[in-house]
Amino acid sequence: MPVVDGVELPETPLLDELEKGPWPSFVKEIKRAAIEQEKAMKAGKKIKLPGSAKGLLKVLELAYKEKRTHWKHGGIVSVIGYGGGVIGRYCDLEDKVPEVWHFHTIRVNMPAGWFYTTKALRALCDAWEKWGSGLTNFHGSTGDIILLGTRTEHLQPMANALAYLDKFYGSPAPFDIGGSGSDLRTPSCCMGPSLCEFACYDTLKACYEFTMRYQNELHRPMWPYKFKIKCAGCPNDCIASKARADFAIIGTWKDEIQIDQEAVREYAKVIDIEEHVVKKCPTKAISWDGKELKIDNKNCIRCMHCINVMPKALKPGKERGATILIGGKAPFVDGAIIGWVAVPFIPENELIEKCCEILEAIWEWWDEEGKFRERVGELIWRKGMDEFLKVIGQKADVRMVYAPRNNPFIFWRELNP
Amino acid sequence: MAEEVNVEELKQKVLEYLAKKPWQVRDLAKVLRVKKRELDKIVQELINEGKATYWSSGSTTYVTTPEKLEEMEKKRSEMGAAE
Ligand code: HEM
Ligand code: HEM
Ligand code: SF4
Ligand code: SF4
Repeated sequence: MPVVDGVELPETPLLDELEKGPWPSFVKEIKRAAIEQEKAMKAGKKIKLPGSAKGLLKVLELAYKEKRTHWKHGGIVSVIGYGGGVIGRYCDLEDKVPEVWHFHTIRVNMPAGWFYTTKALRALCDAWEKWGSGLTNFHGSTGDIILLGTRTEHLQPMANALAYLDKFYGSPAPFDIGGSGSDLRTPSCCMGPSLCEFACYDTLKACYEFTMRYQNELHRPMWPYKFKIKCAGCPNDCIASKARADFAIIGTWKDEIQIDQEAVREYAKVIDIEEHVVKKCPTKAISWDGKELKIDNKNCIRCMHCINVMPKALKPGKERGATILIGGKAPFVDGAIIGWVAVPFIPENELIEKCCEILEAIWEWWDEEGKFRERVGELIWRKGMDEFLKVIGQKADVRMVYAPRNNPFIFWRELNP
Repeated sequence: MAEEVNVEELKQKVLEYLAKKPWQVRDLAKVLRVKKRELDKIVQELINEGKATYWSSGSTTYVTTPEKLEEMEKKRSEMGAAE
């Protein structure tokens, strides 16, 4: 048995291979957790799942050796009143590795924009070291803090610890469980105006408002399937909302890109504007005569390229708001499906209220008409965009067209009988 | 008042069904011939009262009674390695 820092670790020749190389390794991290856990126990801390990180190493090594999994799905969601956020997982080796027989995942609602104080992080880790494996995943694909592995009987105490993390663990604020299953998944947003000058609306505020207003939808699954809301401050879409959210709110502007000509001339000294900006504009909307940069804003499709290249010279316009994209999702089998335009523009000051109105209309329709495990985008394919637009009270708009028709001899109805 | 009696009756009936096995509200609504939305409300109330609870298959959420849940979890731990 290898001994590290006075802690015995199981023999894991296959897993050890995954520690080689310059990149981060989850094996290294699980070993560290095993060591830290044992140290904490020696220091007299209360630990409910002794040996769980070590147990995980044993199960993984065995799985690599036998080329089969020892994990099973299903089971209890036993935090009172919550239907989501706890994902039951079991191992079929309870006689050999009882430490990880139950290995349930808890999702924790992250703060908007993923801002933490170290105090909050310490408190989270202290609570999880006591009630779970101590292993975390910051963050999961939903955006939540993922707590990996605990037993059924520790789920409720851990949920209580989160709810009183301020009182008993010294966190500046308590935490709540996130979403899973057929509910509203924990809404997420980019860091927006807190750090980014491109933000066209307050993404953090929007995310917070949706989270607070839709607590019932978040914690109590009742829909055909999951529903994700993601708020991106500008078309750079740093949280990949267009590929991952059923309802993506992407910041944009209606008027003209703001240009500081003096700053453009400064850039001209260090970059080739013709080559790196003018030629790269997808709609050829930019011209540059060596002194002045001109943008034909009617033809700008808000791709952000020119602004990203010259952030000191160019800025999004002043009349700001957001576009709503509907139906994005990222299934593993068919690959990502990009959302499409449902509402071309909502001004910033009306954004949250208008989104709530639309969301509630969509949920009512989808809950009524959706088949089991049918995402809202799939329902729109089945029922047609016409019906969807009626549901959300929008008129068809040229900006919703996915691609212009390019063959005059094909009548589209015959393609889609 | 007549309406309230009906809700109480429906609640009782819902509980009887939930005691038998975990249900998706959508399916139970069809069996009981009530609107899903109406049943959602009743189920939420039962959950708030502690008379109903959630059960998950791993990714799909069902509703049942706490007694049935306990029975199922007990069965699971007894089945253990044999499964
Ligand atoms: C070679 C090993 C592994 C690889 C390549 C891998 C890769 C990934 C990736 C790419 C994701 C999506 C992350 C994201 O989009 O944020 C993910 C999610 C996840 N991983 Fe791993 N992983 C590995 C091992 C593990 C292990 C050992 C565990 C458990 C102990 C684990 C538990 C999870 C969970 C629970 C999620 C989902 C988080 C959520 O619900 O959003 N993974 N993994
Ligand atoms: C043969 C092995 C597995 C397959 C094929 C599989 C497949 C899947 C699929 C398809 C989903 C998405 C469900 C959805 O869309 O709602 C999912 C979610 C998940 N799986 Fe697995 N899985 C496997 C093993 C595991 C294991 C071993 C664990 C942990 C011990 C695990 C933990 C999770 C978690 C935490 C989620 C997120 C659940 C949610 O989104 O509500 N899975 N898995
Ligand atoms: S999406 Fe836009 S606003 Fe948000 S962080 Fe990225 S660049 Fe900034
Ligand atoms: S944002 Fe994109 S489309 Fe618009 S002018 Fe700049 S490069 Fe062209």
